[in-house]
Amino acid sequence: MKKKMLSALLCATMVAATLAGCGSSGNQPAADSGTEAPAADAAEGGTEAPAGATGDGLVYWSMWDAAEPQAQAIKQSIEAFTAETGIAVDVQFKGRTGIREGLQPALDAGTNIDVFDEDIDRVNTTWGSYLMDLEELAKANDYEATANAGLIAACREVGGGTLKSIPYQPNVFAYFYNEEIFKEAGVEKVPETWDEFLDTCQKIKDANYTPITNDNAYIASLFGYHMSRLIGEPATEEVVKNGDWDNEAVLKTAQAYEELASKGYFSETIESNQWPAGQNTELAMGTAAMYLNGSWLPNEVKDIAGEDFKWGCFSYPAVEGGVDGTEASNYGAQVFAINAKSTKAEQAFQLITYLTKGEADALLSEMSVGIPADTSNTEWPTLLTNVKPVMDSMTTRYPWAAGAEANADMTPIIVENFTKLCGGSLDAQGFVDALKAAGN
Amino acid sequence: MKKNKTMIVVFLAPAVIMFCIIFLYPIFRTIAMSFFKIEGVTDAVSKWQFSGLANYIKLFNTELFRISMWNIFRIWLFGGIIVMGLALLFAAILTSGIRFKSAFRAIIYMPNVVSAVALATMWLQYVFSPKFGLFKSIGELLHWEGLAKFQWLDPSHLFFALLVAYCFGMVGYHMLIFASGIERISTDYFEAATLDGASKVQQFRYITLPLLKGVTKTNITMWSISSAGFFLWSQLFSMVVSNTQTITPVVYMYQNIFGAGNSMTERNAGIGAAVGVLLSVCVVLIFVVCNKVFKDDDIEF
Repeated sequence: MKKKMLSALLCATMVAATLAGCGSSGNQPAADSGTEAPAADAAEGGTEAPAGATGDGLVYWSMWDAAEPQAQAIKQSIEAFTAETGIAVDVQFKGRTGIREGLQPALDAGTNIDVFDEDIDRVNTTWGSYLMDLEELAKANDYEATANAGLIAACREVGGGTLKSIPYQPNVFAYFYNEEIFKEAGVEKVPETWDEFLDTCQKIKDANYTPITNDNAYIASLFGYHMSRLIGEPATEEVVKNGDWDNEAVLKTAQAYEELASKGYFSETIESNQWPAGQNTELAMGTAAMYLNGSWLPNEVKDIAGEDFKWGCFSYPAVEGGVDGTEASNYGAQVFAINAKSTKAEQAFQLITYLTKGEADALLSEMSVGIPADTSNTEWPTLLTNVKPVMDSMTTRYPWAAGAEANADMTPIIVENFTKLCGGSLDAQGFVDALKAAGN
Repeated sequence: MKKNKTMIVVFLAPAVIMFCIIFLYPIFRTIAMSFFKIEGVTDAVSKWQFSGLANYIKLFNTELFRISMWNIFRIWLFGGIIVMGLALLFAAILTSGIRFKSAFRAIIYMPNVVSAVALATMWLQYVFSPKFGLFKSIGELLHWEGLAKFQWLDPSHLFFALLVAYCFGMVGYHMLIFASGIERISTDYFEAATLDGASKVQQFRYITLPLLKGVTKTNITMWSISSAGFFLWSQLFSMVVSNTQTITPVVYMYQNIFGAGNSMTERNAGIGAAVGVLLSVCVVLIFVVCNKVFKDDDIEF
């Protein structure tokens, strides 16, 4: 009988231990992040000391991969921050997909996260309900004195009228080009209208270069930007979301690109360009002249393009009779936000301020060839000198791809058929018909 | 032996409880989720909005989802025929007593050891490249213009390119399973057949194949399960935004749960759950059909 009791007792202990092991994550959020942090750190290649484990430091979930220049700059600056202020920071480099998939479940589970970052739109819309209002903190620290007013305004706009995120690593979406090719082709002024753009393309073609290239990843933007120039971004988004392919702007856009294709302005391999083939093997290698992309492009291809590559930049040209001009584009930033449940808001804001201002901001800008967020950091990386006037001229903000990718059910279909249009294997009417057929 | 019910219960309890928490609960929760509109995948149940069959109706009415189902079917059927055919062929050759057997086996199995990310990048950015690709170089070397100029990665051929690359990586795995199945067959049968004058081909047809029924069933089931969860290769073959030629139901599910590309698109974990339910039904169906077609209990050896 004694034996029986003992074995029953042992079994019960075993079951209890197993269940306790499972249950702890839900019941004790603080302990959970503490046990997880060291493991995550080890996986990321050994970052900071697990300050979260002791519970008195900040926990920062970063959108960067540990190997990226942005992560390295941030890591370096955080070390300096800790040395200066004595505030320990447990930074976990989750990467884009890691944070996209993992942040919301972690916040829902009550994981101890004080600061996180991602794209301005994703943070403010997708995770909007988890954000702390930063108006008071910003005012108390006089944050806006040296912040980019346009970006802060953009943050307020997407945050529903109040400041819930702090921008850094600003970026702008525009045509990036090879200045050498433009010079050789005799193009003296960047095109501002569609006719000037056609003229530029012809000159480049005559100089035996490929005028335009792109990749599957960004090609829908060509469609979105042209449509938005014609009828504005909100109307473009409506067309894409509601499948209103009979809208005459769709056919007009398609006809404009049919013309580009028929004149041979696109790369011969445009239909086969799977990212990053076009940007790496054509633009950076100097065989193609222009690529519509974000200001992160020079950084992405700098090892291929070389140091002496001269980057030019111009906003997508205005079209005749269109609603928007060159002042409109997708400009934005990565943003920092503070978890609404964080108990260390003051310190978290201190960290954000440290990272987005002065030396840390300059270091990030230099290491990642990015645009500085602090307006007193007036020196931009040399590769981005020509991006500054474009960034400064922006007044109307488009969302990603100017609305062309607003409907996830249609994006691959738009990409497929628009690629064919650019490659010349589909004409303008064929493009419209294909979209209409897919909508049924 | 005296049965002690209490002890049975006590010893079974941990396994049963874990099974319920880790398997049954997620299954029932997913099925329930597929009838609701849910924005975030971890939203509290109080935030779920009941929508009946709306998620399923939307899926069947969405061209992109239909395309993704068609793609997965093509991968399963054509990929399955290619992979099973090659795997069986290689397995038969390797077990026929050729020299350097283990070297060949290691070479064919190698792609399974290499990370899929590295493999896919190699195929996409090098082998298929229209500028300096392997196939282009081979085509030029042989003065075969059809191959040199073939655009593997354009919207008309991307699926084919994906299939070639994926099958290349999968043959080794299934070959090993077939090879172990063949090695299990006693050599006595083959010796007897040889004495009776049966050729190698006849031996393969009348001895090896019938005795491989069970292994074939295993292979097809494994293939079906990995096809249903086809995700990584699809993502790698269409970075950032998905493509009509490579999208699969799991990618579609991912987009509905976590958003698509760089754009802020509508999220609905309920649709994701519905995709999961439909895929499970497909796998169960294939499994049932497989069991009917390959009854492996009629031969004993």
